[in-house]
Amino acid sequence: MSETVLRSPAGVIAPPGAARGRRRRSVYARRRGRSGLAFVTPFMIIFTLFMIAPLGYAIYQSLYTTKLIGGTRFSGFANYAAVLRSGPFWGGVIRVIVFGGIQIPVMLAIAFFFAAIFDLGVARWGPVLRAIYFIPFAVPIVVSSLMWGFLLDPAYGPFNRLMNAIGFQNFNWLSANLMLPSIIIIAIWEWTGYNCIILYTALKSVPRDVVEAAILDDTPLWKIILRIKLPMVRPAIIMLVFINTIGAMQLFIEPTILNNYQAGVVSNTWTPVIDIYNTAISDGEYQLGAAMAVVLAVVIIAISVASLAFRNRRREFA
Amino acid sequence: MLSERNPERRITHRLAATGIAGVAAITLLAACSSGGSSASNSTTPAASASASASASSTPVLAGGNCSSSATHLTFWAWVPGMSRAVNEFNATHPDICVTLQDPGAGSGEYVPLNNALKAGTGAPDVAEVEFDLLPSYEIQHYLVNLVPYGADKYKADFASWAWSQVSQGSAVYAMPSDFGPMGFYYDKQVLAKYHITPPATWAQFAQDAIKLHSENPKAYLINFPANDPQWLMDMMAQAGAWPFQYTGGANLTIDWTGPAQEKFAAFWQALINDHAVDAITDLSTEMNTDLDNGVLAAAIYSAWAPSYFAPDVKHSMGQWRAAPLPQWTAGASVGSDWGGSTYPVFSQSKHPAQAAEFAEWLTATSQSWSILKTPPSSLFPTYLPTLQSPAFKSLTYPISGTSQPNQVFSAGALSIPLTTWPPFMTQVLTQGATTFGQVVTGKETLAQAFAAFQQQEVSYAKSQGFNVTT
Repeated sequence: MSETVLRSPAGVIAPPGAARGRRRRSVYARRRGRSGLAFVTPFMIIFTLFMIAPLGYAIYQSLYTTKLIGGTRFSGFANYAAVLRSGPFWGGVIRVIVFGGIQIPVMLAIAFFFAAIFDLGVARWGPVLRAIYFIPFAVPIVVSSLMWGFLLDPAYGPFNRLMNAIGFQNFNWLSANLMLPSIIIIAIWEWTGYNCIILYTALKSVPRDVVEAAILDDTPLWKIILRIKLPMVRPAIIMLVFINTIGAMQLFIEPTILNNYQAGVVSNTWTPVIDIYNTAISDGEYQLGAAMAVVLAVVIIAISVASLAFRNRRREFA
Repeated sequence: MLSERNPERRITHRLAATGIAGVAAITLLAACSSGGSSASNSTTPAASASASASASSTPVLAGGNCSSSATHLTFWAWVPGMSRAVNEFNATHPDICVTLQDPGAGSGEYVPLNNALKAGTGAPDVAEVEFDLLPSYEIQHYLVNLVPYGADKYKADFASWAWSQVSQGSAVYAMPSDFGPMGFYYDKQVLAKYHITPPATWAQFAQDAIKLHSENPKAYLINFPANDPQWLMDMMAQAGAWPFQYTGGANLTIDWTGPAQEKFAAFWQALINDHAVDAITDLSTEMNTDLDNGVLAAAIYSAWAPSYFAPDVKHSMGQWRAAPLPQWTAGASVGSDWGGSTYPVFSQSKHPAQAAEFAEWLTATSQSWSILKTPPSSLFPTYLPTLQSPAFKSLTYPISGTSQPNQVFSAGALSIPLTTWPPFMTQVLTQGATTFGQVVTGKETLAQAFAAFQQQEVSYAKSQGFNVTT
């Protein structure tokens, strides 16, 4: 008897109910797996076709070199060696890191300031103002870059005339020294509204009772904002830092458009993406361009992973 | 070509200037931007501002009413008003049906064209390709030799410079269409104000430039767009300082640092140092505004100038005159060319004979030229029967009053020094815009930029497998 009982779990003389239970679980699991697969498949097909496959193809291409004289040959990591040695490419990477390092904190500070004001409800036309601040984000970047190009134009732009009128002679917003600061201003203008809306939504989800308790304790308003609300929306801020950093690394349209207003400032390697575009399209070195794109992707992934590790260490997300 | 140097730039400026915010404009602008309005533009200047329409990718502009038995050809071009010529061809050639598509000027066309040629399928039978880019297609064997299809018999009908551009050895790889002989284009009232007459020599030009700027420190005789390698190289051609030698194959000569090049660089550097020339982007709204306001009294411009510049003219209407280029040797008459297009047949074409017939009709018949010389195409012909006809030479333009600028440009058309382009011109133009841009911002002298460019080009050519002679 005891022997039988002991052996039963192995399934030799298993009670009918136990077997049925096990089978039912596995069918359920299988069915759940199947429906899950059905939900994921459409996305995965498109993701594979338009993300994974091109990515794989780019990596494959980056291992070859095509010459006008001599044709295509496997060149191993020669393209990567060329990218790693390329001063202009890394100069561009440093430029976009400087760009992001200034633009993102300033923009987030402004965005948080306005989000906090909207959240407090002290602004009379809150919803209208929120919509107005959001408009720059809705304008295509090409259009806004053109508009800013005219505003900052060295010869006829109103901003230069203003600077001349208040005593700055020959002030040129698009000169070699001021091009990057000008693009930072443009990017802040473009993206503050978008970041503001996200922070506003995050602030709205801060529990009211926490704030009310602080009010009952006679906590000053600025302390409520900076000591209570700001820490509670930190996950949203870190996510925005993350997204904006990836965007900053891919700076392309603004300098490309502004290049038409001031000759000789935006070089063909000014940002990594401009460099990749010109290498692949103008120089016809598609494979070298692919290698540069892969290196840039690795740099972005490294920044993202570092940011994730930072978040996990700080236990920002469960 | 009279069709477009940097159409994206012009179009975007124009649209933005008029403040169009509609969806159509946004779509158009987005399309322009994807074409790359960066320095990477390899397109040559264009005649007509109405070319703005060309940037929108209208799918099919002509063709469609053909008989079912006709041979179908696909044709890409961005010359505004080209559909008129295509319709005329289809009407008079019932066996052939040409469908015109306009993928956009310059890189708008070249990028999809290059992709299709690389992919081995999807290229048109015939497309518009500028002179300077022809060798880039020849070296990759993308073009059909048109000699077996009778192209040779038209040789005498074309300006010799244009025919040399489309020939390589005994082969002819395209039919030449329009070009842009250069001249000294000036506002006669502004020049008269400073008591300057169009300079006959560059020495005189330098004196005039210094004199004008010292009389009015806010004004200049011309601007010096060093960031535009096309303009710069065309000026070097006239100075006998052409920096490239290429006749096909793997051998290439690159010389930006020879005595002729150094002399050329020193001449302009002296004017830059004296601030006697302005350094602003050419073919821009800013340059056109400066020309119109008298900030710039003149421009070293091209035959397409009257139609290219006209839309921006408000104050100086009727005052613009053309004179021959100043000369390096007194009494000589050396011209130069800026831009222009050809019509090659691609090796992907399943109907090369019919495609060649179309390209030949388009470029070498007076039926076609009677259409293409008129607005909105306003092409300046390489086809001698049209180029030398009194009717063409005596054309007048509103911005030039009663003067006949084509008299000057037609004469200049026959004295253009022969030039050969390296088979990677987009690289030259993109890298050149950056390297010579250092001259505009004052970081380098022209000679320093030439030396840097020499190194960059030699290094690029070697990496592409060429035997480089310096």
